[in-house]
Amino acid sequence: MKLPSPEHCFLRHIVPDSRRIEAMARPIWTGTISFALLSVPVKLFTATRSKDISFNQIEKSTGKRIKQKRVSSETGEEVATEDIIKGYELSKERYVIIDPEELENLTPRDAANEKTVQIVDFIDGDEIDPIYYEKGYYIAPDKGGARPYSLLVQGMKATNKVAIAKVVLRQKEYVVAIRVKGDYLCMETMMFHDELVNPAEIDELAAVTSDLNEKEVEMAKMLIEASSSPFEPTKYRDEYRERVMALIEAKAAGEAYEMPTEQAPAQVIDLMAALEASLAAAKAKKSA
Amino acid sequence: MTGPGASVDIGGRLLHLSNLEKVLYPEAFSPFTKGEVINYYARIAHVMLPHLVGRACTMLRFPDGVTGKSFFSKNLPTHAPVWFDRVTRNDVSYGVVNELAALIWMANMAALELHVPLHREAPGPRDVVAVQVEPDRIVFDLDPGPNTTIVECAQVALLIEQLLAPLGLVFRAKTSGSKGMQLYAIPPEPMPYGGSGGTTAFAKRVAEGLEATHPHLVVARMTKELRSGKVLIDWSQNVPGKTTIAVYSLRARQNPTVSTPVTWTEVQACAEGKALSFTADQVLSRVDEYGDLFAS
Repeated sequence: MKLPSPEHCFLRHIVPDSRRIEAMARPIWTGTISFALLSVPVKLFTATRSKDISFNQIEKSTGKRIKQKRVSSETGEEVATEDIIKGYELSKERYVIIDPEELENLTPRDAANEKTVQIVDFIDGDEIDPIYYEKGYYIAPDKGGARPYSLLVQGMKATNKVAIAKVVLRQKEYVVAIRVKGDYLCMETMMFHDELVNPAEIDELAAVTSDLNEKEVEMAKMLIEASSSPFEPTKYRDEYRERVMALIEAKAAGEAYEMPTEQAPAQVIDLMAALEASLAAAKAKKSA
Repeated sequence: MTGPGASVDIGGRLLHLSNLEKVLYPEAFSPFTKGEVINYYARIAHVMLPHLVGRACTMLRFPDGVTGKSFFSKNLPTHAPVWFDRVTRNDVSYGVVNELAALIWMANMAALELHVPLHREAPGPRDVVAVQVEPDRIVFDLDPGPNTTIVECAQVALLIEQLLAPLGLVFRAKTSGSKGMQLYAIPPEPMPYGGSGGTTAFAKRVAEGLEATHPHLVVARMTKELRSGKVLIDWSQNVPGKTTIAVYSLRARQNPTVSTPVTWTEVQACAEGKALSFTADQVLSRVDEYGDLFAS
Protein backbone atom coordinates (compact mmCIF):
# COMPACT_ATOMS: atom_id res chain seq x y z
CA MET A 1 0.00 0.00 0.00
CA LYS A 2 1.25 3.42 -0.83
CA LEU A 3 1.46 5.75 2.12
CA PRO A 4 -0.08 9.17 1.62
CA SER A 5 2.62 11.79 1.44
CA PRO A 6 3.58 13.18 4.84
CA GLU A 7 2.80 16.65 3.60
CA HIS A 8 -0.74 15.65 2.81
CA CYS A 9 -1.34 14.09 6.22
CA PHE A 10 -0.07 17.08 8.05
CA LEU A 11 -2.04 19.56 6.03
CA ARG A 12 -5.33 17.73 6.42
CA HIS A 13 -5.49 18.76 10.05
CA ILE A 14 -4.86 22.41 9.48
CA VAL A 15 -7.66 24.82 8.79
CA PRO A 16 -6.12 28.07 7.62
CA ASP A 17 -7.04 30.69 10.18
CA SER A 18 -8.60 33.01 7.63
CA ARG A 19 -11.23 30.31 7.10
CA ARG A 20 -11.71 29.54 10.77
CA ILE A 21 -15.19 30.44 11.91
CA GLU A 22 -15.03 32.89 14.76
CA ALA A 23 -17.16 31.28 17.46
CA MET A 24 -19.26 33.41 19.80
CA ALA A 25 -17.05 34.51 22.66
CA ARG A 26 -17.43 32.31 25.73
CA PRO A 27 -16.87 33.59 29.29
CA ILE A 28 -13.81 32.24 31.04
CA TRP A 29 -15.04 33.14 34.51
CA THR A 30 -18.33 34.04 36.20
CA GLY A 31 -18.58 35.85 39.56
CA THR A 32 -19.20 39.22 41.15
CA ILE A 33 -17.42 42.51 41.46
CA SER A 34 -17.70 43.58 45.02
CA PHE A 35 -17.04 47.05 46.33
CA ALA A 36 -18.45 48.49 49.52
CA LEU A 37 -22.17 47.75 49.38
CA LEU A 38 -22.19 47.27 45.60
CA SER A 39 -22.23 43.75 44.21
CA VAL A 40 -22.22 43.31 40.42
CA PRO A 41 -22.71 39.87 38.84
CA VAL A 42 -20.29 39.71 35.92
CA LYS A 43 -18.70 37.45 33.34
CA LEU A 44 -15.12 37.75 32.08
CA PHE A 45 -14.13 37.32 28.46
CA THR A 46 -10.59 37.33 27.12
CA ALA A 47 -9.98 40.52 25.15
CA THR A 48 -7.12 39.25 23.02
CA ARG A 49 -6.60 36.13 21.01
CA SER A 50 -3.18 35.03 19.88
CA LYS A 51 -3.01 34.15 16.22
CA ASP A 52 0.29 32.32 16.31
CA ILE A 53 0.31 29.42 13.90
CA SER A 54 0.95 26.10 15.59
CA PHE A 55 2.38 23.06 13.92
CA ASN A 56 2.15 19.42 14.85
CA GLN A 57 5.30 17.34 14.97
CA ILE A 58 5.20 14.72 12.24
CA GLU A 59 7.53 11.83 11.46
CA LYS A 60 9.10 12.41 8.05
CA SER A 61 8.90 8.85 6.74
CA THR A 62 5.39 7.89 7.91
CA GLY A 63 3.58 11.22 8.07
CA LYS A 64 2.25 10.31 11.52
CA ARG A 65 2.13 12.41 14.66
CA ILE A 66 5.01 12.32 17.13
CA LYS A 67 4.03 11.24 20.65
CA GLN A 68 6.00 12.22 23.69
CA LYS A 69 6.68 9.76 26.45
CA ARG A 70 7.73 10.64 29.97
CA VAL A 71 10.61 8.44 30.95
CA SER A 72 12.70 8.01 34.06
CA SER A 73 16.12 9.58 33.85
CA GLU A 74 17.30 6.65 35.98
CA THR A 75 15.94 3.63 34.09
CA GLY A 76 14.78 5.10 30.77
CA GLU A 77 11.44 3.33 31.33
CA GLU A 78 8.12 5.09 30.78
CA VAL A 79 6.56 6.42 34.01
CA ALA A 80 2.79 6.26 34.63
CA THR A 81 1.00 9.54 35.41
CA GLU A 82 -0.04 8.37 38.89
CA ASP A 83 3.62 7.73 39.71
CA ILE A 84 4.65 11.32 38.96
CA ILE A 85 4.92 13.73 41.91
CA LYS A 86 6.29 17.26 42.20
CA GLY A 87 9.73 18.22 43.44
CA TYR A 88 11.26 21.66 44.00
CA GLU A 89 14.95 21.73 43.14
CA LEU A 90 16.99 23.02 46.06
CA SER A 91 20.33 22.34 44.48
CA LYS A 92 21.48 19.95 41.80
CA GLU A 93 19.69 16.61 42.26
CA ARG A 94 18.28 17.66 45.64
CA TYR A 95 14.53 18.11 45.72
CA VAL A 96 11.89 18.96 48.30
CA ILE A 97 9.02 16.63 47.45
CA ILE A 98 5.58 18.26 47.54
CA ASP A 99 2.35 16.30 47.57
CA PRO A 100 -0.38 17.66 45.25
CA GLU A 101 -2.73 17.66 48.25
CA GLU A 102 -0.40 19.93 50.19
CA LEU A 103 -0.59 22.44 47.36
CA GLU A 104 -4.35 22.09 47.16
CA ASN A 105 -4.60 23.32 50.74
CA LEU A 106 -2.62 26.45 49.88
CA THR A 107 -4.62 27.36 46.76
CA PRO A 108 -6.03 30.85 47.19
CA ARG A 109 -9.72 30.90 47.99
CA ASP A 110 -12.10 33.75 48.35
CA ALA A 111 -13.74 34.44 51.65
CA ALA A 112 -16.92 32.37 51.89
CA ASN A 113 -15.65 30.48 48.82
CA GLU A 114 -17.38 32.88 46.43
CA LYS A 115 -15.90 34.06 43.24
CA THR A 116 -15.34 37.77 43.59
CA VAL A 117 -13.39 40.58 42.05
CA GLN A 118 -12.61 42.48 45.24
CA ILE A 119 -12.00 46.17 44.56
CA VAL A 120 -9.42 47.41 47.03
CA ASP A 121 -8.56 50.90 45.77
CA PHE A 122 -9.49 53.54 43.22
CA ILE A 123 -6.60 55.40 41.68
CA ASP A 124 -5.97 57.88 38.88
CA GLY A 125 -5.64 56.08 35.54
CA ASP A 126 -2.29 57.44 34.47
CA GLU A 127 -0.66 56.30 37.70
CA ILE A 128 -0.12 52.78 36.41
CA ASP A 129 3.09 52.12 34.50
CA PRO A 130 2.03 50.04 31.42
CA ILE A 131 4.92 47.68 32.14
CA TYR A 132 2.71 46.07 34.80
CA TYR A 133 0.01 45.01 32.35
CA GLU A 134 -0.15 41.36 31.44
CA LYS A 135 -3.37 40.34 29.67
CA GLY A 136 -6.67 42.05 28.90
CA TYR A 137 -10.24 40.92 29.59
CA TYR A 138 -13.68 42.37 28.97
CA ILE A 139 -16.08 42.49 31.90
CA ALA A 140 -19.75 42.03 30.95
CA PRO A 141 -22.76 42.17 33.29
CA ASP A 142 -24.31 38.80 34.16
CA LYS A 143 -28.04 38.31 34.89
CA GLY A 144 -29.41 41.13 37.02
CA GLY A 145 -26.10 42.96 36.85
CA ALA A 146 -26.81 45.52 34.14
CA ARG A 147 -27.90 48.36 36.44
CA PRO A 148 -25.15 48.15 39.09
CA TYR A 149 -22.63 47.57 36.26
CA SER A 150 -23.74 50.75 34.49
CA LEU A 151 -23.65 52.64 37.78
CA LEU A 152 -20.03 51.61 38.29
CA VAL A 153 -19.16 52.63 34.70
CA GLN A 154 -20.75 56.07 35.06
CA GLY A 155 -19.20 56.65 38.48
CA MET A 156 -15.71 55.73 37.30
CA LYS A 157 -16.13 57.80 34.15
CA ALA A 158 -17.20 60.87 36.12
CA THR A 159 -14.31 60.58 38.57
CA ASN A 160 -11.82 59.45 35.91
CA LYS A 161 -10.67 56.63 38.17
CA VAL A 162 -9.29 53.12 37.70
CA ALA A 163 -10.07 50.35 40.20
CA ILE A 164 -7.39 48.09 41.60
CA ALA A 165 -8.83 44.72 42.60
CA LYS A 166 -7.86 41.21 43.58
CA VAL A 167 -9.22 38.14 41.87
CA VAL A 168 -8.46 34.45 41.67
CA LEU A 169 -8.38 33.02 38.14
CA ARG A 170 -7.41 29.41 37.51
CA GLN A 171 -6.09 28.87 41.03
CA LYS A 172 -3.81 31.84 40.79
CA GLU A 173 -4.20 35.10 42.58
CA TYR A 174 -4.02 38.25 40.51
CA VAL A 175 -3.97 41.96 41.10
CA VAL A 176 -5.93 43.62 38.31
CA ALA A 177 -6.77 47.10 37.02
CA ILE A 178 -10.38 47.74 36.00
CA ARG A 179 -10.86 50.58 33.54
CA VAL A 180 -13.70 52.12 31.63
CA LYS A 181 -13.39 51.57 27.89
CA GLY A 182 -16.15 53.40 26.06
CA ASP A 183 -19.29 52.30 27.90
CA TYR A 184 -17.83 49.06 29.19
CA LEU A 185 -15.44 47.84 31.81
CA CYS A 186 -12.30 46.04 30.98
CA MET A 187 -9.73 44.44 33.17
CA GLU A 188 -5.98 43.97 32.90
CA THR A 189 -4.18 41.37 34.97
CA MET A 190 -0.95 42.87 36.26
CA MET A 191 2.46 41.61 37.28
CA PHE A 192 3.24 41.75 40.98
CA HIS A 193 5.80 44.31 41.93
CA ASP A 194 8.46 41.73 42.77
CA GLU A 195 8.07 40.16 39.32
CA LEU A 196 9.43 43.28 37.61
CA VAL A 197 13.11 43.36 36.72
CA ASN A 198 14.91 46.20 38.47
CA PRO A 199 16.58 48.38 35.81
CA ALA A 200 19.59 48.63 38.13
CA GLU A 201 20.34 45.01 37.20
CA ILE A 202 21.01 46.15 33.63
CA ASP A 203 24.57 47.51 33.55
CA GLU A 204 24.19 49.01 30.09
CA LEU A 205 21.56 51.43 31.37
CA ALA A 206 24.18 53.13 33.53
CA ALA A 207 25.61 54.76 30.38
CA VAL A 208 22.45 56.85 29.85
CA THR A 209 23.19 60.51 30.41
CA SER A 210 21.22 63.75 30.50
CA ASP A 211 24.36 65.79 29.92
CA LEU A 212 23.61 66.76 26.31
CA ASN A 213 24.12 69.65 23.99
CA GLU A 214 20.93 71.72 23.84
CA LYS A 215 21.14 72.01 20.04
CA GLU A 216 21.29 68.25 19.66
CA VAL A 217 18.22 67.88 21.86
CA GLU A 218 16.40 70.44 19.71
CA MET A 219 17.35 68.45 16.63
CA ALA A 220 16.07 65.23 18.17
CA LYS A 221 12.82 66.94 19.10
CA MET A 222 12.38 68.22 15.56
CA LEU A 223 13.02 64.81 14.02
CA ILE A 224 10.52 63.19 16.38
CA GLU A 225 7.87 65.80 15.75
CA ALA A 226 8.37 65.51 11.99
CA SER A 227 7.57 61.80 12.06
CA SER A 228 4.78 61.96 14.64
CA SER A 229 1.32 60.64 13.79
CA PRO A 230 -1.70 59.29 15.66
CA PHE A 231 -1.46 55.65 16.75
CA GLU A 232 -3.20 53.44 14.20
CA PRO A 233 -3.02 49.82 15.32
CA THR A 234 -4.32 48.57 11.96
CA LYS A 235 -1.10 49.84 10.38
CA TYR A 236 0.95 47.09 11.97
CA ARG A 237 0.52 43.52 10.82
CA ASP A 238 2.24 40.24 11.54
CA GLU A 239 3.71 39.87 8.08
CA TYR A 240 5.62 36.73 8.94
CA ARG A 241 2.38 35.00 9.96
CA GLU A 242 0.71 36.15 6.74
CA ARG A 243 3.51 34.65 4.67
CA VAL A 244 3.43 31.36 6.58
CA MET A 245 -0.35 31.18 6.13
CA ALA A 246 -0.03 31.90 2.40
CA LEU A 247 2.51 29.09 2.16
CA ILE A 248 0.19 26.68 4.01
CA GLU A 249 -2.83 27.60 1.92
CA ALA A 250 -0.93 27.27 -1.34
CA LYS A 251 0.44 23.85 -0.35
CA ALA A 252 -2.97 22.69 0.87
CA ALA A 253 -4.44 23.67 -2.48
CA GLY A 254 -1.65 21.76 -4.21
CA GLU A 255 -0.13 24.87 -5.73
CA ALA A 256 3.50 25.75 -5.98
CA TYR A 257 4.34 28.54 -3.62
CA GLU A 258 6.70 31.18 -4.86
CA MET A 259 9.14 32.02 -2.11
CA PRO A 260 9.26 35.77 -1.61
CA THR A 261 12.67 37.06 -2.56
CA GLU A 262 14.69 38.72 0.12
CA GLN A 263 13.80 42.38 0.08
CA ALA A 264 16.19 45.11 0.97
CA PRO A 265 14.96 47.07 3.97
CA ALA A 266 12.59 49.85 2.98
CA GLN A 267 14.49 52.93 1.92
CA VAL A 268 13.32 55.72 4.15
CA ILE A 269 15.79 58.34 3.12
CA ASP A 270 16.06 59.49 -0.43
CA LEU A 271 18.90 57.92 -2.35
CA MET A 272 20.27 61.18 -3.73
CA ALA A 273 20.63 62.67 -0.24
CA ALA A 274 22.32 59.47 0.94
CA LEU A 275 24.73 59.69 -2.00
CA GLU A 276 25.66 63.26 -1.08
CA ALA A 277 26.39 62.15 2.48
CA SER A 278 28.45 59.23 1.22
CA LEU A 279 30.43 61.50 -1.14
CA ALA A 280 31.05 64.01 1.64
CA ALA A 281 32.33 61.21 3.88
CA ALA A 282 34.63 59.94 1.11
CA LYS A 283 36.00 63.46 0.63
CA ALA A 284 36.55 63.96 4.36
CA LYS A 285 38.37 60.65 4.60
CA LYS A 286 40.63 61.56 1.72
CA SER A 287 41.60 64.97 3.04
CA ALA A 288 42.07 63.66 6.60
CA MET B 1 24.48 31.42 -50.78
CA THR B 2 27.45 29.55 -49.39
CA GLY B 3 27.24 26.23 -47.61
CA PRO B 4 24.27 24.29 -46.39
CA GLY B 5 21.26 25.49 -44.46
CA ALA B 6 18.79 23.81 -42.17
CA SER B 7 15.15 24.11 -41.28
CA VAL B 8 14.40 23.95 -37.58
CA ASP B 9 11.22 23.93 -35.54
CA ILE B 10 11.61 25.89 -32.31
CA GLY B 11 8.52 25.56 -30.16
CA GLY B 12 6.29 25.57 -33.23
CA ARG B 13 8.16 28.44 -34.93
CA LEU B 14 9.67 27.29 -38.20
CA LEU B 15 13.00 28.89 -39.05
CA HIS B 16 15.26 28.39 -42.00
CA LEU B 17 18.88 28.76 -40.98
CA SER B 18 21.25 29.59 -43.80
CA ASN B 19 24.98 29.74 -44.50
CA LEU B 20 25.87 27.81 -41.37
CA GLU B 21 29.49 27.27 -42.43
CA LYS B 22 30.18 30.91 -43.23
CA VAL B 23 33.06 32.15 -41.10
CA LEU B 24 32.02 35.27 -39.20
CA TYR B 25 35.20 35.63 -37.11
CA PRO B 26 37.91 34.98 -39.72
CA GLU B 27 40.82 36.25 -37.60
CA ALA B 28 39.92 34.37 -34.44
CA PHE B 29 42.33 31.82 -32.93
CA SER B 30 40.04 29.23 -34.41
CA PRO B 31 37.67 30.55 -37.05
CA PHE B 32 34.11 30.90 -35.73
CA THR B 33 31.24 30.22 -38.14
CA LYS B 34 27.65 31.37 -38.24
CA GLY B 35 26.65 27.84 -37.21
CA GLU B 36 28.78 28.31 -34.09
CA VAL B 37 27.21 31.71 -33.42
CA ILE B 38 23.74 30.15 -33.59
CA ASN B 39 24.91 27.23 -31.46
CA TYR B 40 26.24 29.66 -28.84
CA TYR B 41 22.99 31.66 -28.67
CA ALA B 42 20.90 28.48 -28.52
CA ARG B 43 22.94 27.17 -25.59
CA ILE B 44 23.17 30.47 -23.68
CA ALA B 45 19.47 31.29 -24.20
CA HIS B 46 18.29 29.81 -20.88
CA VAL B 47 20.31 32.41 -18.94
CA MET B 48 20.26 35.19 -21.52
CA LEU B 49 16.55 35.37 -22.35
CA PRO B 50 15.40 36.39 -18.85
CA HIS B 51 17.49 39.56 -19.29
CA LEU B 52 16.14 40.30 -22.78
CA VAL B 53 12.45 39.74 -22.11
CA GLY B 54 10.46 42.93 -22.55
CA ARG B 55 13.39 45.03 -23.73
CA ALA B 56 13.37 46.80 -27.10
CA CYS B 57 16.35 45.27 -28.85
CA THR B 58 18.78 47.02 -31.17
CA MET B 59 20.87 44.68 -33.31
CA LEU B 60 24.29 45.11 -34.80
CA ARG B 61 24.48 42.89 -37.89
CA PHE B 62 27.64 41.58 -39.57
CA PRO B 63 26.39 39.69 -42.65
CA ASP B 64 29.94 39.46 -43.99
CA GLY B 65 31.63 38.74 -40.68
CA VAL B 66 33.35 41.01 -38.17
CA THR B 67 35.81 42.27 -40.76
CA GLY B 68 33.06 43.29 -43.17
CA LYS B 69 30.50 46.05 -43.21
CA SER B 70 28.14 46.28 -40.22
CA PHE B 71 24.54 47.45 -39.95
CA PHE B 72 23.15 49.01 -36.83
CA SER B 73 19.45 48.39 -36.92
CA LYS B 74 16.82 49.59 -34.48
CA ASN B 75 13.80 48.79 -36.65
CA LEU B 76 12.94 45.13 -36.79
CA PRO B 77 13.15 44.32 -40.51
CA THR B 78 9.73 44.12 -42.14
CA HIS B 79 10.49 40.58 -43.30
CA ALA B 80 10.78 39.38 -39.70
CA PRO B 81 8.30 36.62 -38.82
CA VAL B 82 4.82 37.75 -37.78
CA TRP B 83 5.19 36.12 -34.35
CA PHE B 84 8.17 38.31 -33.46
CA ASP B 85 7.14 40.62 -30.57
CA ARG B 86 7.53 44.30 -31.35
CA VAL B 87 7.28 47.56 -29.50
CA THR B 88 6.96 50.98 -31.05
CA ARG B 89 8.81 53.87 -29.50
CA ASN B 90 9.39 57.23 -31.23
CA ASP B 91 8.16 55.76 -34.51
CA VAL B 92 10.76 53.01 -34.38
CA SER B 93 9.38 49.47 -34.36
CA TYR B 94 11.82 47.48 -32.22
CA GLY B 95 11.93 43.72 -31.92
CA VAL B 96 11.57 42.30 -28.42
CA VAL B 97 13.45 39.04 -27.92
CA ASN B 98 10.97 37.23 -25.69
CA GLU B 99 11.64 33.66 -26.80
CA LEU B 100 14.28 31.28 -28.07
CA ALA B 101 13.03 31.38 -31.67
CA ALA B 102 13.44 35.19 -31.72
CA LEU B 103 17.01 34.93 -30.42
CA ILE B 104 17.89 32.31 -33.03
CA TRP B 105 16.27 34.39 -35.77
CA MET B 106 18.52 37.30 -34.71
CA ALA B 107 21.60 35.05 -34.77
CA ASN B 108 20.66 33.76 -38.21
CA MET B 109 20.57 37.40 -39.36
CA ALA B 110 24.23 37.59 -38.23
CA ALA B 111 23.13 40.03 -35.54
CA LEU B 112 26.20 39.23 -33.44
CA GLU B 113 25.60 42.03 -30.96
CA LEU B 114 22.33 42.77 -29.19
CA HIS B 115 22.00 46.08 -27.37
CA VAL B 116 19.17 46.80 -24.91
CA PRO B 117 17.93 49.68 -22.74
CA LEU B 118 17.69 49.57 -18.93
CA HIS B 119 13.92 49.23 -18.81
CA ARG B 120 11.41 46.65 -19.88
CA GLU B 121 8.29 47.60 -21.79
CA ALA B 122 5.06 47.05 -19.93
CA PRO B 123 3.63 43.72 -21.03
CA GLY B 124 0.75 44.27 -23.41
CA PRO B 125 -0.51 43.34 -26.80
CA ARG B 126 2.05 42.83 -29.52
CA ASP B 127 3.10 45.89 -31.43
CA VAL B 128 2.22 48.22 -28.58
CA VAL B 129 3.16 51.86 -28.50
CA ALA B 130 5.48 52.29 -25.55
CA VAL B 131 4.33 54.26 -22.53
CA GLN B 132 6.38 55.74 -19.72
CA VAL B 133 8.81 53.25 -18.25
CA GLU B 134 11.13 52.86 -15.28
CA PRO B 135 14.64 51.39 -15.42
CA ASP B 136 15.25 48.28 -13.34
CA ARG B 137 18.97 48.94 -13.02
CA ILE B 138 21.45 51.78 -13.00
CA VAL B 139 24.42 51.21 -15.28
CA PHE B 140 27.93 52.57 -14.88
CA ASP B 141 29.64 51.92 -18.19
CA LEU B 142 33.36 51.93 -17.41
CA ASP B 143 35.23 52.85 -20.53
CA PRO B 144 39.05 52.76 -20.39
CA GLY B 145 40.74 55.74 -22.01
CA PRO B 146 44.05 55.57 -23.90
CA ASN B 147 46.80 53.87 -21.83
CA THR B 148 44.35 52.15 -19.52
CA THR B 149 42.80 48.69 -19.53
CA ILE B 150 40.05 46.73 -17.85
CA VAL B 151 42.28 46.66 -14.73
CA GLU B 152 41.65 50.35 -14.08
CA CYS B 153 37.96 49.78 -14.85
CA ALA B 154 37.83 47.16 -12.11
CA GLN B 155 39.50 49.61 -9.71
CA VAL B 156 36.78 52.15 -10.47
CA ALA B 157 34.12 49.46 -10.05
CA LEU B 158 35.44 48.85 -6.53
CA LEU B 159 35.28 52.60 -5.80
CA ILE B 160 31.67 52.78 -6.94
CA GLU B 161 30.74 49.74 -4.87
CA GLN B 162 32.45 51.22 -1.81
CA LEU B 163 30.51 54.45 -2.25
CA LEU B 164 27.10 52.96 -2.94
CA ALA B 165 26.84 49.65 -1.10
CA PRO B 166 26.09 51.47 2.20
CA LEU B 167 23.04 53.01 0.47
CA GLY B 168 21.51 49.58 0.01
CA LEU B 169 22.37 49.12 -3.68
CA VAL B 170 23.23 45.66 -4.92
CA PHE B 171 25.76 45.17 -7.73
CA ARG B 172 26.30 42.97 -10.76
CA ALA B 173 29.41 43.32 -12.89
CA LYS B 174 30.10 42.15 -16.42
CA THR B 175 32.85 42.59 -18.93
CA SER B 176 31.79 44.60 -21.95
CA GLY B 177 33.29 41.85 -24.10
CA SER B 178 35.32 44.60 -25.69
CA LYS B 179 37.79 46.68 -23.61
CA GLY B 180 35.88 47.78 -20.56
CA MET B 181 33.32 46.62 -18.09
CA GLN B 182 29.87 47.56 -16.89
CA LEU B 183 28.74 47.78 -13.33
CA TYR B 184 25.00 47.50 -12.78
CA ALA B 185 23.38 48.65 -9.56
CA ILE B 186 19.97 47.44 -8.48
CA PRO B 187 18.30 50.27 -6.55
CA PRO B 188 16.48 49.27 -3.35
CA GLU B 189 13.33 50.90 -4.68
CA PRO B 190 12.17 51.61 -8.22
CA MET B 191 13.53 54.92 -9.51
CA PRO B 192 12.48 56.87 -12.58
CA TYR B 193 15.03 57.86 -15.24
CA GLY B 194 14.36 61.59 -15.00
CA GLY B 195 13.98 64.19 -12.29
CA SER B 196 16.17 65.06 -9.34
CA GLY B 197 15.66 61.61 -7.81
CA GLY B 198 16.11 59.77 -11.10
CA THR B 199 18.82 57.36 -12.21
CA THR B 200 20.28 59.81 -14.74
CA ALA B 201 20.98 62.45 -12.10
CA PHE B 202 22.11 59.80 -9.62
CA ALA B 203 24.63 58.15 -11.96
CA LYS B 204 25.92 61.56 -13.03
CA ARG B 205 26.47 62.61 -9.43
CA VAL B 206 28.35 59.37 -8.71
CA ALA B 207 30.61 59.95 -11.71
CA GLU B 208 31.26 63.59 -10.81
CA GLY B 209 31.77 62.79 -7.15
CA LEU B 210 34.38 60.13 -7.92
CA GLU B 211 36.03 62.41 -10.48
CA ALA B 212 36.45 64.95 -7.66
CA THR B 213 37.84 62.45 -5.12
CA HIS B 214 39.95 60.42 -7.60
CA PRO B 215 40.95 62.89 -10.34
CA HIS B 216 43.88 60.75 -11.51
CA LEU B 217 41.73 57.69 -12.19
CA VAL B 218 38.21 58.84 -12.98
CA VAL B 219 36.71 61.17 -15.55
CA ALA B 220 33.02 61.97 -15.84
CA ARG B 221 33.05 63.89 -19.12
CA MET B 222 33.19 62.48 -22.63
CA THR B 223 35.80 65.01 -23.85
CA LYS B 224 38.50 62.93 -25.56
CA GLU B 225 41.48 65.02 -24.39
CA LEU B 226 40.62 64.47 -20.74
CA ARG B 227 40.55 60.73 -20.96
CA SER B 228 44.13 59.52 -21.37
CA GLY B 229 45.18 57.32 -18.44
CA LYS B 230 41.71 57.46 -16.94
CA VAL B 231 38.46 55.55 -16.89
CA LEU B 232 35.33 57.29 -18.13
CA ILE B 233 32.32 56.56 -15.95
CA ASP B 234 29.75 56.89 -18.70
CA TRP B 235 26.63 57.76 -16.74
CA SER B 236 24.79 59.02 -19.81
CA GLN B 237 23.43 55.57 -20.70
CA ASN B 238 20.85 55.94 -17.95
CA VAL B 239 18.24 57.43 -20.28
CA PRO B 240 15.33 55.67 -22.02
CA GLY B 241 16.75 56.15 -25.53
CA LYS B 242 20.22 54.66 -24.93
CA THR B 243 21.22 51.04 -25.06
CA THR B 244 24.06 49.01 -23.54
CA ILE B 245 25.47 45.72 -24.81
CA ALA B 246 23.17 42.94 -23.54
CA VAL B 247 24.57 40.52 -20.99
CA TYR B 248 25.81 37.30 -22.74
CA SER B 249 25.83 39.04 -26.14
CA LEU B 250 28.74 38.21 -28.45
CA ARG B 251 30.96 41.11 -29.51
CA ALA B 252 32.23 41.72 -33.00
CA ARG B 253 35.91 41.60 -32.05
CA GLN B 254 38.79 39.58 -33.41
CA ASN B 255 37.71 36.65 -31.21
CA PRO B 256 34.11 35.75 -30.31
CA THR B 257 34.27 37.41 -26.90
CA VAL B 258 31.16 37.80 -24.79
CA SER B 259 29.84 40.46 -22.41
CA THR B 260 30.33 38.12 -19.45
CA PRO B 261 28.97 38.41 -15.90
CA VAL B 262 31.80 38.11 -13.39
CA THR B 263 31.99 37.48 -9.67
CA TRP B 264 33.02 40.21 -7.26
CA THR B 265 36.13 38.18 -6.44
CA GLU B 266 37.05 38.30 -10.12
CA VAL B 267 36.56 42.08 -10.14
CA GLN B 268 38.88 42.37 -7.13
CA ALA B 269 41.51 40.14 -8.77
CA CYS B 270 41.19 42.16 -11.98
CA ALA B 271 41.76 45.41 -10.04
CA GLU B 272 45.08 43.89 -8.97
CA GLY B 273 46.10 43.18 -12.55
CA LYS B 274 44.47 39.93 -13.64
CA ALA B 275 43.00 40.07 -17.15
CA LEU B 276 39.29 39.49 -17.52
CA SER B 277 38.03 38.36 -20.92
CA PHE B 278 35.99 35.36 -22.00
CA THR B 279 35.01 33.83 -25.32
CA ALA B 280 31.78 32.03 -26.19
CA ASP B 281 33.01 28.53 -25.23
CA GLN B 282 34.41 29.72 -21.91
CA VAL B 283 31.16 31.50 -21.09
CA LEU B 284 29.12 28.36 -21.71
CA SER B 285 31.27 26.39 -19.28
CA ARG B 286 31.15 29.28 -16.76
CA VAL B 287 27.36 29.13 -16.85
CA ASP B 288 27.54 25.38 -16.17
CA GLU B 289 29.73 26.15 -13.18
CA TYR B 290 28.23 29.37 -11.75
CA GLY B 291 24.73 29.51 -13.19
CA ASP B 292 23.53 33.00 -14.07
CA LEU B 293 25.77 35.44 -12.20
CA PHE B 294 23.66 38.28 -13.51
CA ALA B 295 20.35 37.15 -12.01
CA SER B 296 18.92 39.63 -9.52
